[in-house]
Amino acid sequence: MLRTVIGDLARLRLSNSASPSIVLVTQVREKGHLSRPRQKNPYWFVRQQRTQTEDLVTGENRNFINEVVHDTYGAPAIIKGIQTYEQKQLVKTPAPPNTDEQLWTPGLRRSGLIARKIGQYPLWLKNGERVRTTLLQVVDNHVIKYIPPEEYKPSQRPHVHNLNKYGCLLVGAESTNPALLTKEYCGIFRDSGVMPTKSLARFIVSPQAALAAGTPLNVGHFRVGDFVDVRGKTVDHGFQGVVKRHGFKGMPASHGVTKTHRRAGNIGGGGEKGRVWPGTKMPGHMGNRWRILKGLRIWRINTKYNVMWVQGSSVPGSTNGLVYIYDTILPLRKSKDAPPFPTLYEQPDAENAPEDIWYDQVHNFKDETITYKPE
Amino acid sequence: MSAVTKLIKPNLGALRQLQQYRNIVNLSATAALRSRNELFSQEQRRQREAVGRIEKIEVRYLGLPEDVTLVMNNHISTPYNCAQHLSEGHCKRAALALIDGTVPWDMHRPLQESCTLQLLNFNVSEPHLVNKAFWRTCSFMLGAALQRTFKDEAKLELHSFPGPNIKSGSFVHDIVLGTQSWEPTKAEMRAISAEMVKLSAQDLRIERLEVDKDVAIEMFKDSRYKSEQLPSIAQQNQGRVTLYRLGEHIDISRGPMVASTRFLGKCTISAAHKVASEGAASAFYRIQGVALPSGFTLNHFAYGLLEQRSQKLNSARLPNEPFEEQQQQQMQLS
Repeated sequence: MLRTVIGDLARLRLSNSASPSIVLVTQVREKGHLSRPRQKNPYWFVRQQRTQTEDLVTGENRNFINEVVHDTYGAPAIIKGIQTYEQKQLVKTPAPPNTDEQLWTPGLRRSGLIARKIGQYPLWLKNGERVRTTLLQVVDNHVIKYIPPEEYKPSQRPHVHNLNKYGCLLVGAESTNPALLTKEYCGIFRDSGVMPTKSLARFIVSPQAALAAGTPLNVGHFRVGDFVDVRGKTVDHGFQGVVKRHGFKGMPASHGVTKTHRRAGNIGGGGEKGRVWPGTKMPGHMGNRWRILKGLRIWRINTKYNVMWVQGSSVPGSTNGLVYIYDTILPLRKSKDAPPFPTLYEQPDAENAPEDIWYDQVHNFKDETITYKPE
Repeated sequence: MSAVTKLIKPNLGALRQLQQYRNIVNLSATAALRSRNELFSQEQRRQREAVGRIEKIEVRYLGLPEDVTLVMNNHISTPYNCAQHLSEGHCKRAALALIDGTVPWDMHRPLQESCTLQLLNFNVSEPHLVNKAFWRTCSFMLGAALQRTFKDEAKLELHSFPGPNIKSGSFVHDIVLGTQSWEPTKAEMRAISAEMVKLSAQDLRIERLEVDKDVAIEMFKDSRYKSEQLPSIAQQNQGRVTLYRLGEHIDISRGPMVASTRFLGKCTISAAHKVASEGAASAFYRIQGVALPSGFTLNHFAYGLLEQRSQKLNSARLPNEPFEEQQQQQMQLS
């Protein structure tokens, strides 16, 4: 990250005469962590899954425990396509404010969502152009707690400028049976009354965007046409050679080439600095890194199953992997009008809410087919 | 140097044996407690010497690995000694003995005639006898833990503990404190639970002794409530009183108890209910808890349900109610 900034500044300084509308950026992606091995868990670490030992509980008692879980949190149900629990007590969320448009200003940060990448297929625009899209399903998100800026002092600081102005919103996805989790992990959810979830995420938000514990977050939090950043863990390719890892061309397959077809070739020059420079591209572990794909347009939203179609087919991770969706930080793609702020509160009796929302330019499959005028 | 070590080694062995039977003498133990223990030990020794000529009995052990007949000493050998003839595993696992298929027997209680013997642990198919013994032992251990946790200013006096009723959801010990306004905090309850766990970790043997009424009255002369209870207890038991010792703590109970404190696994002392006032400054309190035997794991959610249930006031007979014979007969039947 630091190296790109220094590179940019250097280039800006050099091309000072011509107004730089385009700045060429060479992305230098580093490992993101120190090489020193971690020998023990940090003090804040809480183990999630408890060791599954044979609880010698009779069948009758097992049913009773399930009954208690259902009484506390609601019966298991499929809500918006996800197997979860009803959580009746969360219906009493605070009523949404009447004038939400006036609350939002462009400088405010609002919450993001936790989603699963469920597949990819193309959509067509009304001019016939085909766009590749990835489907992201928002899986049973609930706000767990909000930490105001005065109290939020994380040991792993996020890369956010002026962090002391922002609070932290803890969001959980995919409710699960608390009996399968450790007591310490369930303690995180105790005060909120929300059922313990399989995954947790923090979102750095402005205090105006704070949400009450138990608020459900749905895909309507974003709108079609908005741009989002999607963060996910890339596919683990394991130990890979330079051709796959860095895109080297390799050597010809024949014509006298001996034993060198996919090797790196030369790794450095001579002279005074006659050594292999740090950062030289070589084979090594590829993938399993957190990467953020920025500025993806949302082409379509389905509110019945909480799915959004985002631009492109290179969302990090494999199918059914978790991703985290944020409002984009790219300045030219930020929306100028107010998004649902702090979030979209879904009314339970909204029968007229449209199920499928398409962006203007996108061809709705239910419409007449696209035709071209003869020239 | 070698002469000194030769002197020290046998003493160490003796010390280790002592610790096996009771813990290191509590420096703050009162004189009354020490004299009670002395009387207990004296009576134990007297009863052992009173056996006289040792007679042999045949004990038929039924169980794993195979049924065997053991020749043991009458009025001296205990089921634990029979287990020692089988294996160390038998000694460690056996919580209670079953004589002639029907009579539950303490592991460290001398056998009185030829009989069949089964060693019970918590995994047998019919565990209700072991479970009751375990619950009773938990109440007994709770008394010992309370004795250690309360400061002298609290003027703690142990009253009694009612018979075990596992379905009630908690084991109980009734006490009298020198204050009428004790509201237990979470930290205090956790401290008592921690004391129970410490007792369990010390692996203290639970010894049984049947004494005459006079000896018992002499032992408990400093305890007001025990002195009141002893005559009626002795009357129902042909002038004899059954005592149990755990470390330095001695209490009256019908029995049987499990062999040792190490059988206590997860334990939570969950509630202390004020039952009634006693006099001007004191009051009766009922301390309740729930526990699992060692070796049983349970997820935190289910154990939390057990803890919640154990907080409700136990419906066993209250300490300030008159101890009617009818009630006792009901208890003996159950």
